Amino acid sequence: MTRDDLKYVLKIMALFLVISFFIDKMIFFTLNKISDKVYSGQSVGKLNHFLEIKDDLDYVIFGSSRANHHVDPYKISKNGFNMGMDGTKIAYSATLLKVLPKQKKQLIFFHIDPENVFSTKYTGSDINGLGVKYNRNDIFKTEIDKLEKNNIVQKFYWSLSYNGKVLGILKNFFMTNYDYKSYYGYDPLNLTKNQKNIFERIIENDKIEDCQDNFDLNKVYNGYLDDLALFNQENNKALVFFTSPKFNDYCKEDNIKFEKIMKDKGLIYYDFSDFFKKDNSHSFWRDKTHLSNKGAIKFTKRIYNIFNVYREKSTAL
Amino acid sequence: MLFNSFEFLVFLPIVFVVYWLLNNDLRKQNILLLVSSYIFYAWWDWRFLSLIIISSIVDFTAGTKIFKSETEKQRKAWLLVSLTANLGLLSIFKYYNFFAESFADLMNVFGWQPNDLTLNIILPVGISFYTFQTLSYTIDIYRKQFQPTKDVISFFTYIAFFPQLVAGPIERASNLLPQIEKKRVFRKEWFSEGIVQVLIGLFRKIVIADTIGIYVDMVYGNIELYNSSTIILATFLYAFQIYYDFSGYSDIAIGTAKLLGFKFHQNFNLPYFSKSLTEFWRKWHMSLSYWLRDYLYISLGGNRKGIKITYRNLMLTMLLGGLWHGSSWNFIIWGGIHGVVLSVEKYLKSTRYYEKIGSLSVFGYLITFLIVLLSWIFFRTQNVHSAIFAIEKALQLDFSKPFIGDINVLANSVLLLSLGVLFDLYLFNKKIHLEDLGAKFGVTKVATTAAIVVALINLFYSTSNNFIYFQF
Repeated sequence: MTRDDLKYVLKIMALFLVISFFIDKMIFFTLNKISDKVYSGQSVGKLNHFLEIKDDLDYVIFGSSRANHHVDPYKISKNGFNMGMDGTKIAYSATLLKVLPKQKKQLIFFHIDPENVFSTKYTGSDINGLGVKYNRNDIFKTEIDKLEKNNIVQKFYWSLSYNGKVLGILKNFFMTNYDYKSYYGYDPLNLTKNQKNIFERIIENDKIEDCQDNFDLNKVYNGYLDDLALFNQENNKALVFFTSPKFNDYCKEDNIKFEKIMKDKGLIYYDFSDFFKKDNSHSFWRDKTHLSNKGAIKFTKRIYNIFNVYREKSTAL
Repeated sequence: MLFNSFEFLVFLPIVFVVYWLLNNDLRKQNILLLVSSYIFYAWWDWRFLSLIIISSIVDFTAGTKIFKSETEKQRKAWLLVSLTANLGLLSIFKYYNFFAESFADLMNVFGWQPNDLTLNIILPVGISFYTFQTLSYTIDIYRKQFQPTKDVISFFTYIAFFPQLVAGPIERASNLLPQIEKKRVFRKEWFSEGIVQVLIGLFRKIVIADTIGIYVDMVYGNIELYNSSTIILATFLYAFQIYYDFSGYSDIAIGTAKLLGFKFHQNFNLPYFSKSLTEFWRKWHMSLSYWLRDYLYISLGGNRKGIKITYRNLMLTMLLGGLWHGSSWNFIIWGGIHGVVLSVEKYLKSTRYYEKIGSLSVFGYLITFLIVLLSWIFFRTQNVHSAIFAIEKALQLDFSKPFIGDINVLANSVLLLSLGVLFDLYLFNKKIHLEDLGAKFGVTKVATTAAIVVALINLFYSTSNNFIYFQF
């Protein structure tokens, strides 16, 4: 390689880095501008909506899609919000819980799945869902850094935080599906004939799963559960953990072990995994872990009962 | 090490810089390539490096011995050593369980139930590729088309050269070995071409193929749950998943080699723009199809021994080509479908009907694509039962709304696939090969193109999956 060749390579590399940096920032700030105006859709809209109303809410439901599709806050009390988000676990929800106002008394329903808490693989990567606000929210930044989810590449390419979200954001920017002001965060699963058929076939082919035999609490879960117990005491929050129903939860040992862990930590926990065991109509289900709207209505009534018990406690905080 | 991993992002620049710093010393440069290739492979599992080394030793020796042998008998004996060692290792590690299971199934037919003969064997990554590569060396020497190298380092580097070690392209010794033995010169246009091809390959793999793969995996993971339209949609998407996955890999391999001053042959040339299956095989995984033609089809007699033998050879080549992909009846059937259609095309070509059919060539693209699509069902499913089940379900013609799943995934798949196809159409219409795209780009254009592709990758990349062809 001659000196001239070396200059050529360095020139391309340097120019690439400069252009890449500017393109990235241009995309990032444009998407920030656009996404800040989006209040619908799971990509960013629901998060924006939550951040806008969080200070005034009396109660919030956190968790994964099994929280999102299973509890209708409108049926409980009109000043609540279901912040359940598809594909998220404790890191995402616990971080959001930490942005709630300190002074306001609030009741928190926190969905948690025992099979996840004993996972050996979970590292809290669901927190990346909050990456779009990394540079604009100190709590998100602290939590993402704590879990080391903002790697060296991401420090250069900020737009990586919008990975996989662009279409959703643009779609909701140009075409909103609903008026977010009348949205309470619950996304009902209304079944089509095709989905009903699929579920019937799932049941026909149902096999007994292999149950896990590792019951060491995942480190990320352990850390957040301790964090939340402390946060609960210091921030006027009444925190109720719960596990949503499953169509057929063959493995019960994880539920029993987890219940004991929660008891030892002094946290309130309800296990509803067998809620539909006595009346397990197929019409209550979209698949083996997600309720249909019909099932969710029935389950919400049970949450409403708990709400009534803890509402008094939360207002007495 | 995977091309789409963070490790490779660190590994390649280090190798690149040290490699060109050693430009005045060919031997040191080749040693660096050999060591870095072994590190690249050992990142997956260092134990299987021993197989590559065994293959290299056997073929280096066999190549020299064949060349030096004075009698035809000796030459044949050494070729047999090479074939037995390489195909023996391949048979044990790739096909032993398949043959043991097939034998047990056959015995079951006769009412005898043998004990479980299968073994817990790990398939070494890339074994099919480097076995074919190393065999081409000894066969070419046997055919007196190539002279063996005297330099062990060069030969070992030829077998293990990391850009093409685990999933090709299968480079012949006649192309690659002379390049290894000769001082490489840094060429600006190759650097530009390499950068552009690596990034476009990466885009094809981690943006297009991996995004499409989410939907395909969901459907093919539980094929019994879905209706005809869902299965057809998933199969259609799979056709593009496998194309962008494998051609993406080849692009990264060819581009990486160019950065180091090596020129590989083209491996994909817009194969779905083919008017016949014969044309398809001239454009799909070209390094394999030409290998099969030159070392199997021609060795069997090719088309020199009459029409019947020609068809037999064609079928055998495609059946064995299918088996090369994996130890399952599915791949054999996949090869069989291609073999039958290629034979039909060969027959039609020999008759007066061919010209009439030729006038309908506009339909050729569609018919060829549909045949390829059908055969992909066998390629994608786990066993023959699942493949037949999928075809039966597709033929139920239940064209009610397909299952969408995550709308975001499907929307991204459609958008990214459209981008990929539009880019391919551009190359097709302009008659440009991707390999040459960056050649005329100036500094600013290369840097800007790279920056745009990287920005698109950042926004749309999907979680990293293994390259499909790694399993072969």
